[in-house]
Amino acid sequence: MKTQITDLFGMHVYTDKAVLVGEIEDVVVDVDGKKIDSLAVSNINPELMDLKGFRGLRIPYRIIIAIGDIVIIRHLTGAFGRMKQE
Amino acid sequence: MKKTFARALSKKQIMSTDGMVMGTIKNITFDLHTGQVIDLVVKPDQNFETAGYAVEAERMFVPFEAVRDIKDYIVVDRYLSKK
Repeated sequence: MKTQITDLFGMHVYTDKAVLVGEIEDVVVDVDGKKIDSLAVSNINPELMDLKGFRGLRIPYRIIIAIGDIVIIRHLTGAFGRMKQE
Repeated sequence: MKKTFARALSKKQIMSTDGMVMGTIKNITFDLHTGQVIDLVVKPDQNFETAGYAVEAERMFVPFEAVRDIKDYIVVDRYLSKK
């Protein structure tokens, strides 16, 4: 399916465990590879991780599961260390 | 590998390899599944002759294949950019 990059701006990003990650602020384009490299996500859920002064996260395109009304990414247990695991 | 933020591209001008300004970038289309970038959506310059290009309601689509480099301008190949 074909979409425009600006349609992604402002979309909410959730993990596959239904945890809010943040909001898409920008998209990183790989000019040589002619593909989307990653999504720059801001307004990071403070419950998920402490950014220690950084403004946002870059989510690699390969961990994205689906994009529709929201974006769903894989829940990386190691990366999202502050989440309580059951 | 050259990477750039999409917002940094907005309002950049498109120039073909023969030195002609084609217009300004409005958007980029891509494939949701593969992440492959497909087209640049361009607002053609007033003096630019759009014959031979894929045009749809005042928007011109330039295949990303044609992009040679992106610095101050987005330089596209004059032959590859036609449909």
